[in-house]
Amino acid sequence: MVKIGKHKTDIQIAICGSAGDGTIAAGDILKQAMAKAGYNVIAFDIYPPEIRGFGKCVARARITSEQVYSLKSESDALVSLNDSHAIAHVQEVGRYGAVIYEDTPISDIAEGAHISSHLAPAHLPYGVAFREISERVTGSARSRNIVAVGYLAGLYDMPVEAFHHVITQKFATKSQALADSVLDGFNAGYHIGANTFHLHFDRIGTSRGKGKQSDLVMMSGNAAVARGCMDAEIDAFFGYPITPATTIMETLAHEMPKRGARMLQTEDEISAIAATIGAGYAGARAATATSGPGLALMSEMMGLGVMAEVPIVAFISQRGGPSTGLPTKTEQSDLNLAVFGVAGDGQRIILAPTNVEGCYKCAGKAFEMAEKYQTPVVVLLDLYLSNRYEAVELPKKNPFAKNCSKPITQKTNQSSYKRFKLTNDGISPRAIPGDEACMHTVTGLEHDEQGRPSDHPVMHQTMSEKRHKKLLGAVNHRGITISKRFGDKRKVDVGILGWGSTFGEILEAMIEARKEGIRCSAMKVVMLSPLPLKPINAFFDDCGEVLVPELNYEAQFASLIVGATGRQVHRLNRVTGSPMRVREILAEIRRLADKAQMIAAQ
Amino acid sequence: MRSKKRFETMAKREHYVVIGNGVAGTEAALQLRQRDQNSHITMLTAGKLLSINRYEFPKVFSPCGSDWRDFLLHPPEYYDEHEISIQRNIWVTHVNAAEKLLMLRHRESLSYTKLLIASGGGRYIPESLNQFRDLMEKFGTYEEAKTVSEALSKGGHVVMLGGDMIGLDLARSLIKYGFRVTVIGQEYLFWPHHVEPAEKQRFTTILQDMGISVRSYASVESIEQGKSGRKARHIVLNDGKTIDADIILSFCGLMPSLAFMAGAGVDIERGVLVDPHLKSTDKNIWAAGDVCQIWSPEENQYRFYYGWENVKEMGRVAAFNMTGGNESISTFQDEKLIVTDTGEIDSPFWQFS
Amino acid sequence: MNVREPLYLEDKLEEIERSGKLSYRSQKLPTWCPGCGYFSIEEGVSKAMTRLALDQTNTVCVSGIGCASRFPFFMNTYGFHSLHGRALPVATGIKVANDDLTVIVVGGDGDAFAIGGAHIPHAARRNVDITYILFDNGIYGLTKGQTSPTSIVGFKTTTTPYCNIDQPLNPLMMLLSYGASWVAQAYAGEPHHLTRMIEAAIAHRGFSYLHVLSPCVTFDKTSNTYQNLNMKVRPLPDDHDASDFSAAMTEAQNNARPQIGVYFTSQRPTLGDGLNDVAKRAATIA
Ligand SMILES: Cc1ncc(C[n+]2csc(CCOP(=O)(O)OP(=O)(O)O)c2C)c(N)n1
Ligand code: SF4
Repeated sequence: MVKIGKHKTDIQIAICGSAGDGTIAAGDILKQAMAKAGYNVIAFDIYPPEIRGFGKCVARARITSEQVYSLKSESDALVSLNDSHAIAHVQEVGRYGAVIYEDTPISDIAEGAHISSHLAPAHLPYGVAFREISERVTGSARSRNIVAVGYLAGLYDMPVEAFHHVITQKFATKSQALADSVLDGFNAGYHIGANTFHLHFDRIGTSRGKGKQSDLVMMSGNAAVARGCMDAEIDAFFGYPITPATTIMETLAHEMPKRGARMLQTEDEISAIAATIGAGYAGARAATATSGPGLALMSEMMGLGVMAEVPIVAFISQRGGPSTGLPTKTEQSDLNLAVFGVAGDGQRIILAPTNVEGCYKCAGKAFEMAEKYQTPVVVLLDLYLSNRYEAVELPKKNPFAKNCSKPITQKTNQSSYKRFKLTNDGISPRAIPGDEACMHTVTGLEHDEQGRPSDHPVMHQTMSEKRHKKLLGAVNHRGITISKRFGDKRKVDVGILGWGSTFGEILEAMIEARKEGIRCSAMKVVMLSPLPLKPINAFFDDCGEVLVPELNYEAQFASLIVGATGRQVHRLNRVTGSPMRVREILAEIRRLADKAQMIAAQ
Repeated sequence: MRSKKRFETMAKREHYVVIGNGVAGTEAALQLRQRDQNSHITMLTAGKLLSINRYEFPKVFSPCGSDWRDFLLHPPEYYDEHEISIQRNIWVTHVNAAEKLLMLRHRESLSYTKLLIASGGGRYIPESLNQFRDLMEKFGTYEEAKTVSEALSKGGHVVMLGGDMIGLDLARSLIKYGFRVTVIGQEYLFWPHHVEPAEKQRFTTILQDMGISVRSYASVESIEQGKSGRKARHIVLNDGKTIDADIILSFCGLMPSLAFMAGAGVDIERGVLVDPHLKSTDKNIWAAGDVCQIWSPEENQYRFYYGWENVKEMGRVAAFNMTGGNESISTFQDEKLIVTDTGEIDSPFWQFS
Repeated sequence: MNVREPLYLEDKLEEIERSGKLSYRSQKLPTWCPGCGYFSIEEGVSKAMTRLALDQTNTVCVSGIGCASRFPFFMNTYGFHSLHGRALPVATGIKVANDDLTVIVVGGDGDAFAIGGAHIPHAARRNVDITYILFDNGIYGLTKGQTSPTSIVGFKTTTTPYCNIDQPLNPLMMLLSYGASWVAQAYAGEPHHLTRMIEAAIAHRGFSYLHVLSPCVTFDKTSNTYQNLNMKVRPLPDDHDASDFSAAMTEAQNNARPQIGVYFTSQRPTLGDGLNDVAKRAATIA
């Protein structure tokens, strides 16, 4: 038997089945356990658009010893819990990768319906009697998925204690008998897997935590957002359910009341953001979350937030659009709506984290920024980021500052308090209802320093300037990565500029390209508005050619950058509903590297 | 997708199914493809691996190390290039010749238009040794061979019961790699070669000169698990002597693997009975390799033919006839055991390329 | 109403000063058209606040968009002039953030029942502890005279030049059925009654809805004029039992002859109570 070696680990496993097969649950145990054992894990589950029934689920997890940034386009092993769904995924298994499947179907199956006839010659078949084992050991076929996870763990020599720990924890609230039976199912599968001859070459090697149980926790992007909100001591949250943002609200519904904070499901997105603005106005740390269609409804309110200078945070998890679009598929096509989607000159702060840890950071920092710059802050996520899991280690010390509002300095009297006082940095001291002698009315109308409606031409010019100027400081906000360059320093042939969830694939492609000897570097831009122009321009100065890969058809980020810098970029756009493929980015990098070389030679 | 295509056009095209991916089956699949471009070809094998060269298995003991890729007859791409669907980990449980259907263990049924049985043979264990089955390691598949090699520590002692040519081939390698080998028994020594009693001593001496210890007149009385601190196996011979071994292997010839043919409606004796065209008593079923017994008009009986060259030729002829040809199998390799110029034993059985 | 005796400005100013209601007025004078019914509503709110001795720093007036919604600018309290139709959810947010604030929401009939119609049931059913004063002039004032959801059939406006064909809503019945815990009607032409109603509305713990009939003197010369309303408006019957929901529904049915007074009042937990309860449950689990 191969023991856990000193070599690196990089294994991607896909579990495919229908909604009723416990596919996602199986994937969950796998990723939680491997994170527990100290491995880096990136995982992304795909759910069927149908709510119930037999729709296809795929749980994918990439388990590594080194830091990686995205899933691989090829999996090293596929576990089929339902061949009718999994057959289409056989092709994602790489050369000498394993296909693990049910060898004891409950009933006769039609010719061609079994996955074994669909394997490529380079695949390794592992047929296992999941159902029989489950029935024998647990008394029912329902634990097939657990037996399969056990088999997988045995087959790849995964650390068994971590699995026991996770399963025990998962079933802690259930009956002891059930928990025991599930453990038995796992162990039975593990035993068979461990005693199966290993034909595959992928091995679990060292973990980041060197085998010790670690502080790494598996967390989805949305869970990280919720965690960030909690650590930033959110007071109020209002939302209206919409995929893929709903789980933020659901998590907060659980967590907030425990701390006395309040969460309310409103009647629509308009009221969600309206109430958020009301709460923000009243001094609360308030947030809402939605997806593209909800953001479209929120447009008008977003403008009110800008005009009335109310601190709020809106988490927007993008999905395929326009309109209802592809509710369960990922896309990055709401950038324009987020950045530009208000009536008038309504600039506000837009943050787009690139990974799960970033979700946590951006969520918490968004509250600081909203307060400090007195403006709505939009945190732009997407389905791939919201739903993907990564093993993250959260800071031991709470990294978020509490009250960041510019305080009212001297005691004012009623007539002297100016809510929208013109200051050097454009930020006015802010009073909230309940503050003595600072009564004022905020409005969506253009107004003077006191907040009284005014359509005086000079006033509108002055106030527009104030509202934009005050945001400039945000690109230097402390404790958050606004933009960051990776890879080769100084002059390179190819630079890849990216944002949001796609940056993981970009980094992987960049790393591959560098291995091939291509001089390149990648830069992520986390703050999309206002743009950190200085580092972006410096990046352009250093790069022969600049590539902008993103998951939308209209090259929205590329256009944003071109508009802001006047530079040229190469666009790479995909709208397949799935994350960008690393190899597609790599192919573009190679092409551009050749081009850059040719230009240099001339 | 590959298979979907297959089903859509099934009516028009032949669907050749080959059970077994040994030398006979693999050769047959290639011949089928070359003679019928338009057909569907499916190879079924119980193993998990692509067609593998079993004759090379002794190399698993090589100190240089090896993995199964070193034993492949063809790389994975070969099957795609030749459009041969090789389905592994498949157990055929029953053949329904009347409806031209194969029943598979995982409850799928598979239809064919022409079927070639090339499932080969497994180790034969004589009645007298059957009770010790569990104490004898298997060596039939790559996985078994590799497991044995990993279990055997450097310089370890291998006891072979029987000593057929497959075993002796392994014994040669084991000696070369520094292991100890003892061969016990008389009846199956040099199987499938028929060696005259007068000759037997000469060959045995050569084996001993090679460093193999031969106990040809002994037979096994009992086998036990070794006591702790001792070797893994403890053998008591009929003459009262005992031998301690790390591993016991049985090499007493082959037994055709055709349990799934029971009830198929095809004549079977020890193997599938076929005419010199390798056709069975069913008009859509052929057989080739170690699984078939071919009618020999000269000897007026059905008989087995062994050895790499023979088996490959059977695969070729069967495929030729399945695709409309009419060729009798005739030219078989000389099956005599020989002594080379350098004084070593050699056998056409061992020759493969 | 019809004061015929001569008025002296000095006397009036002195009287106003003494009343204390000025402290609830901002320095900005209302921008409404002279004669607009909204003046008496503002007057009523100021008086009611004075009587209740409301703490201005802990009072927020919230509005949407419309003539009516300009209201917060004219008050000396905290104010939020929000978006067309969205006063209620904004007010809900304010209350969720700080239960100690007194929140008064004002708005016009278009703001409430057209664009903001979806929010009313939810503010009412949640029993958000706010006072909602609806200024119903049966027309869009700020946009200069278009038909509204409470315009009567046959009403000619700029967008219904041939006549309005749509049936008007019955706001009182709607609010009753939405579960508002306090529902009343008043008339801008009856300022004393109006003030009493406002006072009671603010005093009510829970969602109180006060429907105020108020003529738009500029754009409605035919329908809801003082003259017409003076003829039509009458008090609720003396024996009306405001704790009887069915009675309230019955009385509310008569749109054509509006009755003023408290239709319905009841006590039940507010949104804040509910949220506190949730927090308690969560704390016991945590
Ligand atoms: C989204 C939006 N649509 C339209 C308008 C224009 N608008 C302003 S006030 C108003 C109607 C106001 O009527 P009502 O609510 O009855 O108040 P009133 O002016 O009569 O007091 C309209 C349509 C707007 N401000 N916002
Ligand atoms: S337009 Fe009508 S409602 Fe608006 S202020 Fe003038 S009279 Fe009042």
